[in-house]
Amino acid sequence: MPKCTIDGKEIEVPTGTTVIRAAEELGVRIPRFCWHPDLTVDGNCRMCQVEVEKVPKLQIACNTQVTEGMVVHTRSPRAAEAQRTTLEFLLVNHPIDCPVCDQAGECYLQDQYMGHGLYGSKVELEDKVRKRKVVDLGPIMLDAERCVLCSRCLRFEREVTGTNLLEFVNRGDHTQISTFENGPITHEYAGNLADVCPVGALLSHDFRFKMRVWFLKEHESVCPGCSTGCNVSVDERDGEVQRLRPRRNVDVNKSWMCDPGRALYKQIGVTGRVSGARVRGAASWEGVSVAAALDRVASALKEKGAASVFLASPQGTNEDVFAFKALAQAVGGKLDFRVGDPQKKVGERIDHVLQRADRNPNTQGCLDQGVGRDGVDAILAACRAGAVEALVLQGPEILRVPEAVDAIAKVPFVAVMATHEGPELDRATVVLPAALWAEAEGTFTNFQRRVQRLKAAVPAPGDAQPRWELAAGVLVRLAQPLGAATAREVFALVAKATPDYASLDYRAIGSQGQALPSAEAAAPAQEARA
Amino acid sequence: MAARVVTVDRNQKASVLPILEGFGVTLKIFFDSLFRRRTSTIEFPEQKRNVSSRYRGIHVLTEREDGTPKCVACYMCATACPAECIYIEAGERPEKTIEKYPTRFEIDLLRCVYCGFCVDACPEEAIIMSRENDLVGTTRAELIIDRDRLMARSKLVEHGPGYRPADHDVRRPVRIAALERLKAEHGIVPGMPKKPAR
Repeated sequence: MPKCTIDGKEIEVPTGTTVIRAAEELGVRIPRFCWHPDLTVDGNCRMCQVEVEKVPKLQIACNTQVTEGMVVHTRSPRAAEAQRTTLEFLLVNHPIDCPVCDQAGECYLQDQYMGHGLYGSKVELEDKVRKRKVVDLGPIMLDAERCVLCSRCLRFEREVTGTNLLEFVNRGDHTQISTFENGPITHEYAGNLADVCPVGALLSHDFRFKMRVWFLKEHESVCPGCSTGCNVSVDERDGEVQRLRPRRNVDVNKSWMCDPGRALYKQIGVTGRVSGARVRGAASWEGVSVAAALDRVASALKEKGAASVFLASPQGTNEDVFAFKALAQAVGGKLDFRVGDPQKKVGERIDHVLQRADRNPNTQGCLDQGVGRDGVDAILAACRAGAVEALVLQGPEILRVPEAVDAIAKVPFVAVMATHEGPELDRATVVLPAALWAEAEGTFTNFQRRVQRLKAAVPAPGDAQPRWELAAGVLVRLAQPLGAATAREVFALVAKATPDYASLDYRAIGSQGQALPSAEAAAPAQEARA
Repeated sequence: MAARVVTVDRNQKASVLPILEGFGVTLKIFFDSLFRRRTSTIEFPEQKRNVSSRYRGIHVLTEREDGTPKCVACYMCATACPAECIYIEAGERPEKTIEKYPTRFEIDLLRCVYCGFCVDACPEEAIIMSRENDLVGTTRAELIIDRDRLMARSKLVEHGPGYRPADHDVRRPVRIAALERLKAEHGIVPGMPKKPAR
C-alpha cells in the first residue's frame, strides 16, 4: 500500500493504482481526454501530464503507478504549461462550432479550455484541416472535425462490445475515425459511444438538437428494462424527460447501458398514459375519481373475500409489491406474480454485455418477498372453474397473455393498476392509474440481489399514484391500514418482513445500492472480455 | 426636448409679483401653441418621437442572403434571458455546413423585460432589437411572436434598428465585463493575433 502526496494531500492506495485514479479519489481532477475509468489506459492524448518530484520529465497521470513517497503536482507551472500546450495542439483543427454542437455544456474541450487553456488561437479558421461532418452512423452522428482522436470509442468497441466497428483512417492531421464504408453502428450499445466521446464527435441521433444540456436536471434512478438494473440518471427539464444516461456503478453496469434501455424514457411522456381512474358502467367506461374507484375495489374485495386472486407485477418496486402482498393477506386470496415465468430467466443473459432475458426490473424483489406463492397456472385454472370472483392485478401483464383471455373473462370483477392505455385494459372492470418508475420513489432488487433506489424525477400524469399508494388506499378502506405514508416508511416495513433485508436502511442504500448475500456468488453484471 | 434649468431664490419675500410672472409664462406658452404652433406635445400615433439608435424595442431576427434565419438555435439567448421568455425548438438545416436552425423561435413579449441580454449573448448577430415600441394586442396569444413575425424586416425599415452589436462591444456590457476579467485575470486578449508585417 504505497502512500503518495497529490497537490499537498496525502493518500494511501493499493499497489498498482495509477496517479489519475488516486487523484480522483482525493477529488483532484486532472484534465484528460483518452482516460476512461472503465476502459484500458491508452495514454495518447497527453492531457493529463503532471509533475512528479525527482522525475526529470513530466509524466502522464493515467499510466503512472503510484509508488511509495511519490509527490505529485498537478497544477505546478510546468504541468499547467504542458496541459495548456497540449490542449492548444488538440484544438488546432477544431472547428469551434459550439453553438450548433450538442456536446456543448458537457464537453471536455470547453471545460478544459476554461480551466487550463485560455489562450488566443494561432490558427485562422480558413487554414484548418476540414474533415467530414454530419455523417449518419445510424444511432450515432459522427463529426470528424470535432474529434480529438482519443480512441475511447475504439477501445469501447474492442473491449466492451467486441465489435470493432470503428477505426482510425488516414494519417497525420488528416486522421479521423470511421466505420467500414461508413456503415451504421449495428450493436445495441451505440449510445455509449456518445457518452464515452469526450467531445462532440460522436453524438446521439435521438438526442440531436433536442435540448441544451445545461437546462437539464438529473435524477438518480435505475433502468427498469431488465433484471440487470443498470444505474441511470434521468435527465429532465420542466417535468419532461429528455434522455436517460448510464450512471457509473462498478458492480452493476460500470459506465454502460443498452440502447433499448436508453429508449425507455419515451414511455414516460403523457401520450397513451392512464391518467385517471375508470370503472365499467352499464354500457361503457365511466371516468371516476381514484377514491371512488378504490371504494369500488374495496367493497368488491370485502364481498368476495377468499374468492379473490392477486397478481403482483415484477415491474413494481419492492414497496409496491409489499403493499400489494399486504392487501392480499388482508383479504385472504391467492397471490402470485410469475406471469410468463420471469423467475426462470432472472439471471439469464441475452448478450455478453448487460442485457438479461428477464425484462422486469424487480423479479428478484418479488421472489425475496415470497410473492410467488400459488402458481399462475393454478390461479388460471381456478378462474376457468369459476372459483375466482375478484381479480386484482398490479400490472396488465396477464391481460396480454392470449391463453389467459378465456379464464379472465370468467371473473366477474377485474381491477388493474395500469400505466399505459392498451386494448387489454378493456378486459378489466376497474382501471387504476399507476405512476411509472420515473415518477415514484422506491427500490428495485436486481438479479444479483442488489437493492437499488430510484428517485422520482417527474410528476405522474393526472391522478396517477404509485402502486403501493393505490394498494394502501384499498387497505385503509378495508380498515387495515398499512401504517406507512411514504416510500421510505414502506421500505422500513419491507426490511422488517423480508429475510436478509433487515440490515437495510432506505437512506443508507445511497446512490450505488446495497448488495444482499446471494446464493450464487455475486456475479459481475458485465462479463470481462479477455 | 431639453428642459430649461431655472434657479429659484427661496429666501426672497413672498409677494404677488412672482405669481404674476408665473401666469405670464403660462400665457406665453398658451399663445405660442395657439397661434405659432410651437407645442411640446406630438400627435401620437401619427407622429412618433425619435428614439435613440440604441433603443431596446421589439426584437428582430436577422436573416442570411437567402432569406433563412441567421440563428443557429444555440439557445444562448434563452439561457441568458432573465425573464425566460424565449422558446426555441431546433431542427436540421439542409446544408451541412450550418447544420442547425430554429424551427420554432418564440418570444413572449409580455414577459420580456427588454434588457437586451439576448442580443449580448448571441454569437451570430442573429437577434437584434428594433426601435419599435408600441406593443398592442387584443389577446395574450398574439403578443407571443413567432419566428416569421420576428423575421419581418419591414419593422426595421419603419422604425430603424435599435440595440445591436454593430459598433463592436461599445454597447455590450456583459461581453465587456467578461473580456476585462479574462484580460485582468489571465492576461488574454481573445481573437487572432496580428500577423507580423512582411
